[in-house]
Amino acid sequence: MSTTQNQLNVKTAADITAAQLDLDADVVIIGSGAGGGINAYELAKAGKKVIVLEAGPYVPSEKFTEMMAVSMATLYEGEGAQSNTDGDITVLQGRCVGGSTVVNAALCFRTPDYYLNKWGKEYGLTNLTPDVMLPYFEKVEKKLGITEVKGHETSVGAEYIKKGMQKLDIPLGLARRNIRDCAMTGFCFAGCKTDRKQSMMVTYLPWACNHGAVIYADTRVTKINTVNGAASGVNAEVVDPKTGKVKTRMKVNAPIVVLAAGPTGSPLLLQQSGLANSSGQVGKNFACHPSLSVTAMFDKQLNDFHGATHSLFDDSHTLPDDGGWIQLNAVQDPVEASFMAEPGTGKPYVRYMQNYPNSTRLITLIHDKNVGEVTLENGYKEIRYQVDDEDFEAMKKGLKDNARILFAAGAKYLYLPTSDKQRINSVDDIDSVIDALENEPARYRYTSFHPQGTCRMGADKTKTVVNPYGETHDIKKLYVVDASLLPTSIGYNPSETVYALASYIADHINQTNPS
Amino acid sequence: MSHINNQRRQFLKLATAITATVMSCSSMQVMAGILTDENKMDATEQAVFKKMLAIALPTEGTTLVNPATLPVIPTIEGALLAGMPPHIRKGLNQGIHYFNQSAEKAYGKPFTKLSDADATAFVDAWADSDVAPHRALAMGIKKLTVLAYWAIPNTWAPLGYDGPVSEKWGLKKRGVTPEPQA
Repeated sequence: MSTTQNQLNVKTAADITAAQLDLDADVVIIGSGAGGGINAYELAKAGKKVIVLEAGPYVPSEKFTEMMAVSMATLYEGEGAQSNTDGDITVLQGRCVGGSTVVNAALCFRTPDYYLNKWGKEYGLTNLTPDVMLPYFEKVEKKLGITEVKGHETSVGAEYIKKGMQKLDIPLGLARRNIRDCAMTGFCFAGCKTDRKQSMMVTYLPWACNHGAVIYADTRVTKINTVNGAASGVNAEVVDPKTGKVKTRMKVNAPIVVLAAGPTGSPLLLQQSGLANSSGQVGKNFACHPSLSVTAMFDKQLNDFHGATHSLFDDSHTLPDDGGWIQLNAVQDPVEASFMAEPGTGKPYVRYMQNYPNSTRLITLIHDKNVGEVTLENGYKEIRYQVDDEDFEAMKKGLKDNARILFAAGAKYLYLPTSDKQRINSVDDIDSVIDALENEPARYRYTSFHPQGTCRMGADKTKTVVNPYGETHDIKKLYVVDASLLPTSIGYNPSETVYALASYIADHINQTNPS
Repeated sequence: MSHINNQRRQFLKLATAITATVMSCSSMQVMAGILTDENKMDATEQAVFKKMLAIALPTEGTTLVNPATLPVIPTIEGALLAGMPPHIRKGLNQGIHYFNQSAEKAYGKPFTKLSDADATAFVDAWADSDVAPHRALAMGIKKLTVLAYWAIPNTWAPLGYDGPVSEKWGLKKRGVTPEPQA
């Protein structure tokens, strides 16, 4: 065991030549994102032999392109094309070594006490009190360098939006991010080329490798195995990314299986394996924090191209009783801007793009109900989810606030992200334009970065999949440690919640399974 | 009559199914995969995208790069269609054909044969249609087209957008963060 190596020990399809690979470990972890990475480290550090299987590729950060179009294809689930069945919500998740932590905006919020208390009351998670969770938040914040943005960590657009918020007496929310020495390229979503974002790829995963963990990329798990009601390992396939063909069949024997394949991958794997679903809840209760981005046009060039991806937020309405939405600023490249508004086909669209340097945007993200489901249909993933009518009304209220902030910031007019032309020309028009919006499929250009809830955690095994300590109710020593766990959506970016819960569960695994 | 209704229902069901394909594939799959013969565009698809490109990006008289000088259609094919699962590829093909043929009802011609003005009006009408699959197809096909254009870095200079910066700015890699010691 070396503690100085500090490098990833990754094997890819190119490194593996055998047609069959049989491996033994104390723990096999499925997925290398937030939950998988943290468990890999905490369990390996405790002396366990850990193998991490990642379905996505290993892309070293020096190969990150800082071009969203390419990054989507290489680093994202479904090459950036994962969506709900109606196709109007793009559900973005990382699919690479490091998972979503490689491509998220690094925005961190502690789970509000409101939800920890609610989960205790309604889901029997009385073990996850604010007092119990506090040291876990502090621990991951220290390890991942989670701090509030410094004065210079902003963007041109954020500075304008800040003025708008100040004019309206809206309290400024300064982003807390797991970034050290941010270079403000604005390319968080394309992966941080210079390793400033503290993704799993530059923190917990290499630290796990310091303690003997091995990561297999290009390796998709096909089945979780059990013996006598307890996890016993997994079957997997190493897929050659150049051909899409299976190169190696793998079997990992391990008495502890940690599932961290994400809120769409984890329930599907349980369904495929026919496991842990006596409650019938596997894959159900999907929520995703749908968001809409309002584009503001100014009468001068802002050139809001680079800077902190997110630096500013307004969470004065984020808890459900306050409305259930949050506003976030964002920098955006022209590829994304090219489809975030509908000014009309032809010349209006050309004018819109010519004015891209004059634009900035503010995102409204809602706390949504867990009304969706992830299933397999004819062997293919389906995310059945439509925005709930009440949630849509919350979105409309959030969009009104959003529009007021942007006009107060100096915007001359706004575009809503709709299929048809929806432009707001003045503050006086905000209510009439937004009141006329109806909750219809394929009308809005939603994006979700926060799928969650599909293996919900709780004390009642008839209503939840996973017990309060992360172990499935049905299968012993099979743990879930990703955002599937969340019993309700939380309205805030859930990454720190996952970091903290994963740490908590890792401690429980170590306590109940001493090395 | 019931036959027509049934056909319409089938069309809508089909279009709904491909909605996800068109809409979501427009999320920037711009990395060449393996383009099999089955996944290549047929002539109608080529013509639909070509027409959409012409009406979506009329750059004459502007500083924007003329799309005719860029490999936009090959980008759509090499990026979007390459490696697409067969069932999705089939649905997309049917959706594009449905979109093209549907212009005949209002204009007596398929989309690809419309004047630019009529084609523009057709797309805008579908974008605001009461029928969800119409909205999805109009929004999705247009989105794919413009996305493929803007994904080509040559298009950025007229906007003043400078693209990747880490190397240009001489940023140093931080590398792996040292493991915290107890």
